[in-house]
Amino acid sequence: MGVIVGPRVIDAGLSLLSVLISPVPVAAGYPSPAQDYFDGRIDLNEHLIKDITSTYVVRVSGDSMEGAGISDGDELIVNRALEPRDGSVVVAVLDGELTIKRLRITETGVVLQAENPGYPDIRVPSVSDLVIWGVATRCLHHV
Amino acid sequence: MSQIALVDVNCFYASAERAFNPSLEGRPVVVLSNNDGCAVTRSPEAKALGIPMGEPWFKLAPRAREWGLVALSSNYELYGDLSARVMELLGRYSAWLEVYSIDEAFLGVKGTPEELLALGRTMKNTVRRNIGVPVCVGIAGTKTLAKLANKWAKNNPSFDGVCHWDSVPAAHRESLMRRLSVVEIWGVATRLTKRLTALGIHSILDLARADPVMIRDRFSVVMMRTVLELQGTPCIPMEEERIGREQLIFSRSFATPITTAAGIRQVMSVYGQQASARLAKHGLQAKVLTAFAGTSHFNPKDTSYPSVCVPMPMPTADPVLLTRAAHALLPLIHAGVRYVRAGIMVTDLRPTGNQSPLAPFENPHEELRIGTLLDDVSRRYGRGSIGLGHAGIRGGPDWTMKRDMLSPRYTTHWDELPLVKAA
Repeated sequence: MGVIVGPRVIDAGLSLLSVLISPVPVAAGYPSPAQDYFDGRIDLNEHLIKDITSTYVVRVSGDSMEGAGISDGDELIVNRALEPRDGSVVVAVLDGELTIKRLRITETGVVLQAENPGYPDIRVPSVSDLVIWGVATRCLHHV
Repeated sequence: MSQIALVDVNCFYASAERAFNPSLEGRPVVVLSNNDGCAVTRSPEAKALGIPMGEPWFKLAPRAREWGLVALSSNYELYGDLSARVMELLGRYSAWLEVYSIDEAFLGVKGTPEELLALGRTMKNTVRRNIGVPVCVGIAGTKTLAKLANKWAKNNPSFDGVCHWDSVPAAHRESLMRRLSVVEIWGVATRLTKRLTALGIHSILDLARADPVMIRDRFSVVMMRTVLELQGTPCIPMEEERIGREQLIFSRSFATPITTAAGIRQVMSVYGQQASARLAKHGLQAKVLTAFAGTSHFNPKDTSYPSVCVPMPMPTADPVLLTRAAHALLPLIHAGVRYVRAGIMVTDLRPTGNQSPLAPFENPHEELRIGTLLDDVSRRYGRGSIGLGHAGIRGGPDWTMKRDMLSPRYTTHWDELPLVKAA
């Protein structure tokens, strides 16, 4: 199971006790010296997601992005608020489907590249000819 | 000048589906009510086919293929999450936000006409880009006029989705109000139109020019408020509770900011119990709860607009369950941050009667945490992998809805994430 379960959805059935109790056992007499140093566990949402309102998690189907370290079945964190730039890994709408590609913006035009020699590039005159759904910021690669 | 903006999502349910399934763009789409009963949302293409609101699915089904019509079951978890995101984003533009329904909100806004128009466009473009659904914005001096401006923005392409009432020449506004019947205005019930007609009041303009005192005497204070609002005098205040067909909302701004999770917990507990009482009163149960809080727009230093969308293990009006669900917001509350408002919204409502065969067992299940267990198992092994003994799994126990055409719950279930093609 992944750690980042769909942004900000929490199972109503889970007990909140796990959140509310002190993460370090509290000794009845002498306080644990470690307690003063405990600032909370690492929260992946905090580190992997900049703008949670605009962020979605998607799953990759296919091997055309292998060269970018993105494999079939990996999950991607996609921020829709980001401006796509040259080199961004983007989710673009192609033929009514969400498709993952590397965006290249050059003086001669705009190219959606696969990161796998088996797949051809897609050329368009300018970025405005594309529907960019969002910009991938992280890949949750299954190792 | 202080004004009110009404922001609402165009064909919300259909737009939410399109946000994750772009192949639906440009195609006629209807979203069906509980148990796939009838069309509750129609895309413009579906409207153009002449499909009326509320048309039963059994009547549409035989012609769906010929029309290329796509019908979808109501995906309440998706809609609830996207709604929470839209409200959270809108909250960044105003400290005074009233979530009016699952897909619309009133915001208090200030500025010159140019600034207000620019703000409207920014909100429209940002919601579209960051969340993926289209909205229209109406801005005016009163809620009633903001509603009207919003409707105009939606129906007249020249506004490009944003209408600032006061920026439109007076002659155009009058001509619009002359064209529209009084039934088109927010707050006037259809049954009253006959009595208005008898007084020579046919159009919105007629009503706007009526004497408010006469209207109060012949009708009610409510109708008088509508007249005053049409004349530009704001008199419909911020409300804390709304009940519509689809959701129940409890929300308010605090006189003194709340700065602790304990404070928010108290507020959430109150709302959880209020929601429970209100659901019981209307004979309803909810399947999804959204809880939210927000800081003031005027304090840009610590902006925070936490929200959670909680799918309930089963439809419920139980105060303990609802309150516990609302408490899911607490881990997102940071001590010391000054929250000026908070609220909850319950959606995916259905009549309590639907569940009557199981009702006697509900409490024992709750104590044994069977509901939670079922949910955990279903989450891990997929829906339909486990069910209550005599209710069966595929036989369709009464409390599961018929949702044969349900799209994935893209944003709330790890097993149902949107797929992106790498090909």
